[in-house]
Amino acid sequence: MNPTEIKSNILTTTLESAINWGRKNSFWPMPFGTACCGIEFMAVLAARTDLARFGAEAIRFSPRQSDLLIVAGRISIKMMPVLIRIYEQMPEPKWVISMGACASSGGVFDTYSVIQGVDQFIPVDVYVPGCPPRPEGVVEGLMKLQDLVGEEKLSDYSPASDK
Amino acid sequence: MSPATITSQLKEKFPEAILDITEFADEKILHIKSQHILLVLTALKSAGYNFLADLTAIDNLTLGGFERFAVSYHLLCHETAERLTVKAYVSEEKPTLPSVESLWKTADWQEREVFDLYGIIFEEHPNLTRIMNPDDYEGYPLRKDYPRLGRKERDDFPVVNRGIRKKKPLE
Amino acid sequence: MNRVTEQPIETDKMVLNFGPQHPSTHGTLRIIMELEGETVKKATPEIGFLHSGFEKLGEDLDFNQYITITDRMNYLSPLCNNVAYALAAEKLMDLKVSKRTEYIRVLMCELSRIADHLLNVGMLAVDLGALTAFLYGFRLREDIYDLFEIATGTRLTTSYTLVGGLMRDIPDGYDKAVIKVLDETVEVTNEIETLLNKNRIWQDRTKDIGSISKEDAISYGISGPMARASGIDWDIRVNEPPYSSYEDFDFDVAIALNGDVFDRYLVRMEEIRQSIKICRQSLDKMPTGDVSIDPDLGFSLPPKDEVYNSIEGLIYHFEVTMPNRGMTPPVGEAYVPTESPNGELGFYIVSDGTRTPYRVRTRPPSLMNYSIFSKLIEGHMLSDVPAILGSFNVIAGELDR
Repeated sequence: MNPTEIKSNILTTTLESAINWGRKNSFWPMPFGTACCGIEFMAVLAARTDLARFGAEAIRFSPRQSDLLIVAGRISIKMMPVLIRIYEQMPEPKWVISMGACASSGGVFDTYSVIQGVDQFIPVDVYVPGCPPRPEGVVEGLMKLQDLVGEEKLSDYSPASDK
Repeated sequence: MSPATITSQLKEKFPEAILDITEFADEKILHIKSQHILLVLTALKSAGYNFLADLTAIDNLTLGGFERFAVSYHLLCHETAERLTVKAYVSEEKPTLPSVESLWKTADWQEREVFDLYGIIFEEHPNLTRIMNPDDYEGYPLRKDYPRLGRKERDDFPVVNRGIRKKKPLE
Repeated sequence: MNRVTEQPIETDKMVLNFGPQHPSTHGTLRIIMELEGETVKKATPEIGFLHSGFEKLGEDLDFNQYITITDRMNYLSPLCNNVAYALAAEKLMDLKVSKRTEYIRVLMCELSRIADHLLNVGMLAVDLGALTAFLYGFRLREDIYDLFEIATGTRLTTSYTLVGGLMRDIPDGYDKAVIKVLDETVEVTNEIETLLNKNRIWQDRTKDIGSISKEDAISYGISGPMARASGIDWDIRVNEPPYSSYEDFDFDVAIALNGDVFDRYLVRMEEIRQSIKICRQSLDKMPTGDVSIDPDLGFSLPPKDEVYNSIEGLIYHFEVTMPNRGMTPPVGEAYVPTESPNGELGFYIVSDGTRTPYRVRTRPPSLMNYSIFSKLIEGHMLSDVPAILGSFNVIAGELDR
């Protein structure tokens, strides 16, 4: 192979950024849609907004096949154990988007049976405000998460790093 | 049969069951003693009120009424398109009344809901368990003396950490 | 080969847990099923996974504040909830609203009904493996969302009504926008029907599946399109006047006789057509007038212009919004049934004469409709369960409140 061909066919990068590039552009979301936000999440997937443009259209309803949990809607005290279990079933690496006011803070439902923000119990990466957020807002949230994933270090994932 | 006729007929038929008949916004409300509810509703059902639209309860703690709780039944007659409200009064000490599940299957879940939220016990109900709240929930949230924010039930969950990922320091 | 199939196959019972997080529950339902082979022998539905204390919350909010909460109850057709609650509060306080208000409410309710049925039919098709109808329907639903956004300011949580009026009037030229969407709706409904009605797979999977008899429908308290699919000729819009001027409109009630999934689908499609008819009539006959609350009643908020620019307006605004001032209904109770896309949506308000209601009860059509579900799926194949569930249009927010 002559040297000019090598030049136009080889790309140098770090393993870290190659992996991050792959991860952030092919999320497999698991929508945990419970209420109004679940309906708006359908709108995000449907024709007009089309989440496929951002590489996140491969919706999987099984937590074991997905890496992005989208909590869309209010979580009641009866649902919270289910959410925790689903989160624990997801394999690493995994991220969480808390979509809408109810998932993020309980929203208007300051009552005995609504969890006042899922981030009290599971780690949340991106909060999307709104009641419910517009589809554009969800896309913005997803892009914010892409930025976050792009900055991750491989050493973050080493189990020894905590010690 | 119009609500006015049927209520006066019932008053003649069951004088000991009926506490009062009132009217608000042109609608008749029949106030009865709880132990007679099955009898009265059976009579109403055979008089044409074939549809139990709604079954719910009211806690009369500060409102006042014959007893602490009122279980209200909203009946509809498909034939004449007339509606009638029946309220059965249940005491605080012994909150029990007969189930009407044998008349309308829809009462099954609605009575369970009233039991869950008010703690009113329906006798001879096939499966009187909590329906909205978790089975191990304590207290009856729609009673007036139950706080709206609950008793810390919503804060009582294990915290899950990511474990293998470092937490980023806040900027 | 024959020898093998002739022998009865003995299988153990298997318990299958369906939900609460399952794509075809469209929300948060859980069904525990006992299967023998692929046949459902016993089913125990469990609900309450979205119980959010709506009724407790209603006791702490005043009449107009609670309207924002009703949006979140049936999130497929929030405007119907707004209207239903406003009607109940108006009956309690004996308020009359202007004819224009009623007509706009009818228009909005019917647009919601179209949006609701489109989504429901689409989701039913998705559950049975046909994605196209969903995408067609949702594209149109987006257009209807745009109409809501023009009139109310938001797509989904509209909070459009006030007790005694509307939040704001529809803008000029709104009728043209609506007619454009209605024309499109006709096309899309035709397209969906072409896709599905004579589709062999669709018919096989929906006909004679989950039939509800007329007697069962009454006993289980089933209402709305599900009851009409079982042959019950009952529509609150027609049978219980006066109901927000519905008596001024000329439309038919869709009825089917078999009560199976296919009939429920047909009734919903026909209701979309009738709703289009009502929408057109309401635009044609739209009366002129005012939609705001009668200022003589003493609880309407003054225009924002006055509040910001004059001391009288500001004082008045404070007076109206202060606790124990403003709207005070008489001691009493009112139950108002309305025809929501799912069935009889009733609000039962008990008042003790203060600014906040003493008790707010919602009669959720989903709860009563869903209560027959376990009886219905027993004896059916497992793969029919999503079809039956899809045809119920259970909205968890309304089911659990």
